[in-house]
Amino acid sequence: MNTEIIDKVTNMIYKKASRLMVDDISVVSAYGKESMLRFSNNSITVVDTLDEVAVLLYLAKDRKRVVGTTSSLREEDLDRFVTQLFSSMVYIEESEEYTPLPKGPFKYKSYNSYDISIERLGEELTDYCNNAINAALKEGAVRVSGVLTSDLVAYKIKTSCGVESMDKSSSITINVRAFSETSSSGHGLSCAASLPKFDPGEAGATAGRFAKESKRTGYWEEGMYDLIVGPTVAADLMQMVALSASAFRVDTGTSFLKDCLGKKVASEQLILQDYGTIDGGFDGRAFDDEGVPTKQTNIIENGVLLTYLHNTSTAKKYNTVTTANAGIISPHPWNIVVNEGDMSLGEMISESKKAVYVTNNWYTRYQNYVTGEYSTLPRDATFVIDSGSIKYAITGTRISDNIPRQLLNISGIGKRRKWVKWWEVETPVYTPPILIKNVKITKAQF
Amino acid sequence: MRKEDFDLDLLFYAISETENKGAEYVEARLQTTRDMVCILKNGQQKPIIISESSGLGIRAIVDGGLAFSTSNVLEKETIREMVDTTVKKAKAASKLVKNKIRFSRERKNKKKWKAMEKEKLEEKSFEDIIKALKEFDSIVQEKRNYIPMRFLEMETSIDRKIIATSQGTFVDGYVPRIYVTGFLTGMKDGKTAQKSIEYGGSGGWELIEVLNIREDLKRQTDVIKNIIENAQKTIPGTYDVITGPEVTGIMAHESVGHPFEADRILGREAAQAGESYLKPSDIGIKIGSEEANLSDDPTIPNSYGFYLFDDEGVPARKRKLIVNGVVNELLHNRATARMFKTKSNASARATKFNREPIIRMANTFVEPGDYSFDELVRNVKQGIFINSFMEWNIDDIRRNQRYVGHEAYLIQNGEIKHPLICPVIEVTTERLWSNLDARGNNLEYWAAICGKGDPMQGAPVWAGGPSLRLRNMKVKTR
Repeated sequence: MNTEIIDKVTNMIYKKASRLMVDDISVVSAYGKESMLRFSNNSITVVDTLDEVAVLLYLAKDRKRVVGTTSSLREEDLDRFVTQLFSSMVYIEESEEYTPLPKGPFKYKSYNSYDISIERLGEELTDYCNNAINAALKEGAVRVSGVLTSDLVAYKIKTSCGVESMDKSSSITINVRAFSETSSSGHGLSCAASLPKFDPGEAGATAGRFAKESKRTGYWEEGMYDLIVGPTVAADLMQMVALSASAFRVDTGTSFLKDCLGKKVASEQLILQDYGTIDGGFDGRAFDDEGVPTKQTNIIENGVLLTYLHNTSTAKKYNTVTTANAGIISPHPWNIVVNEGDMSLGEMISESKKAVYVTNNWYTRYQNYVTGEYSTLPRDATFVIDSGSIKYAITGTRISDNIPRQLLNISGIGKRRKWVKWWEVETPVYTPPILIKNVKITKAQF
Repeated sequence: MRKEDFDLDLLFYAISETENKGAEYVEARLQTTRDMVCILKNGQQKPIIISESSGLGIRAIVDGGLAFSTSNVLEKETIREMVDTTVKKAKAASKLVKNKIRFSRERKNKKKWKAMEKEKLEEKSFEDIIKALKEFDSIVQEKRNYIPMRFLEMETSIDRKIIATSQGTFVDGYVPRIYVTGFLTGMKDGKTAQKSIEYGGSGGWELIEVLNIREDLKRQTDVIKNIIENAQKTIPGTYDVITGPEVTGIMAHESVGHPFEADRILGREAAQAGESYLKPSDIGIKIGSEEANLSDDPTIPNSYGFYLFDDEGVPARKRKLIVNGVVNELLHNRATARMFKTKSNASARATKFNREPIIRMANTFVEPGDYSFDELVRNVKQGIFINSFMEWNIDDIRRNQRYVGHEAYLIQNGEIKHPLICPVIEVTTERLWSNLDARGNNLEYWAAICGKGDPMQGAPVWAGGPSLRLRNMKVKTR
């Protein structure tokens, strides 16, 4: 991947900004190359190729702070952009949360984040789609849809505090949805930072198998069930928890973790981490937007909330140090990691008397972010479990509960973890299946 | 935005090069979007944000295969590479396409269009935005004893698109927009109530008045105070439900707008946003009472989903989705129109230069009826008036949906009584629209950002309608 362009753009913007005699400058440029193949009804519908260079510029002067992003790269556009950003400072107040950018240079961890073989892929991407489609059909599906994405991103940072570094990452993901002749459906995915760990055939086979296994449906009643969430659903749940750990969200009333620092917020079995440079992770970076080396942060350890996710400004407010999760305005997780437990999926099923096993979900919405009242819709294969075995598939379910209560009710964590990133889970999550006791499942008036 | 911001030579170069390489259809779009954003977190200013995106998107059909490519490096050499990639990938896709992609025949259009803008947003500075946002914040702050946490964000946005096709269409569109969003978190004496707010429209600074932001914010804060002080538990049971326009709008958007998108019906969104309860042959089937009349109209002045030409260059018009309970018309782009042997009704939109145009709603609403609000309520013995909502969701064929009331009141013997805590409607689409027996004569719209596509595209829309009366609805509680 040719990183010359972000080198050039970063230096150009930095040079323009440094003439303005400001106190702090951070320039983060990103060059992304994305290939996407979408398919439905066993047929390719569109091939997308997205190339984009985007620049983030942060300036601070006299405790006044501004942020800009642009993808207008002509020299005159960049001039206008920097000038407009600088001249806007006159209108804003001094920030109580202002903190000077951290002094560099820093030493950044090297990790396996880039697989050059993903960069070289061409016609093979089509073959991967075919592999997934054929594997799903072989398992009994009649209709297969999905999306395959290969993504390469290079980043360059330069700050006024001596930071200058580059990083790059790669990923390849496939998200497959298969349908049987009765329209029962299954979902499978494979998400990897390197090609050897990418298995589109397995993703397709999983989707096809679930579509077939969920053909036989039966009656169920609204009520309380133990809930087994497969990795895709666990990923959505844990994404909600990690996002709620952002100090910005805590302050804006969009987190159920307010006033919970040092308190038990989950089952003792749970360890939840953010990890910027984990091998196999694919949205991480060696540095955050303030140039601080990213790291492994235990958000929840043995059920206790240890920290919020911080940049330097939110850390100042909370009288702590940054966790290297800038976002200049809002800290955010990079890769979310759940610990391995000691239960197999089979054990979760066999040890459940009355449970529902959900393999995929979507449309998670809150009634109240502070209390964590929410609901989400299982989709694709969903099964009812009676006295330790799967009875049949069920449809029309909705998990209507409360996330803090569910976290405390985690009673089992799976042994086998999987990377999950797809349309519903935007931050990569590495998680096993999870067993949660006593969850409310509701249905609609017909 | 100046004319020189757009290099039309590059646009036409992209089209001719792609055609020369064998494409049967080419569409090129230059698009620039400039946003100015201010945030107040509990009254405290966060860094202001300027955001600008600008680039070129090319879509081409080669032997029935479709490819879309984008770049913001607007140099001839990059465009040439982009054209090569697009044609190569469309050709490769054509080998795996079972139903070749073709577009409906449409008249070629050469038009320049603009959303109505009285006070130009380009002439507004951050000083104006901050001043307006602080005024909104001060309205919320009046109830600070009840609303200890508040988050407000205001964005002005200017979007210009120039679209040209190999069939001779050339459309130059300009839409300025204002969007105000936020969270109001009410808390007192162990009770909480939270409301997300959204106001949005197309136009100039006059939208601040047009959208009634101040008045509605004041009302929202009064509602939170009232809920905290007076709301009582909802007793689950069967009620007649009266919806306010905000609830009517979300119902229309989720259970009619989305499932009427023809690309969903054909399965193109199956792996992401899902499919539809409708089948391609369902035009003419009955899915609601005679009172169910729903439309989508991109041409409503000042609407958040406003446009006069879509991103395939087709002129916009109102779409009557359901007429007297019967499925009347779907939302089409040129590809789905061809498959349904009809004409496009201009539903293709792309939110940024680097996004493919896909079928989107614009402003989806229930047509108003004849009843005053008092008439709707008058003969309700045991009912609930749900004026606004917070939690909602719907399954991926758009049948099983849930709306949880925020501002809601008990109705007894035709009179509105005390506020209720979180009444829940969880209902199928056919039950919902079949239970509709009367529509109010009011009509209000609410702004939203509608998510669809992969990569995700958040499109500005309005959703709305009048108050509705839904008989015999099962109501639960959280």
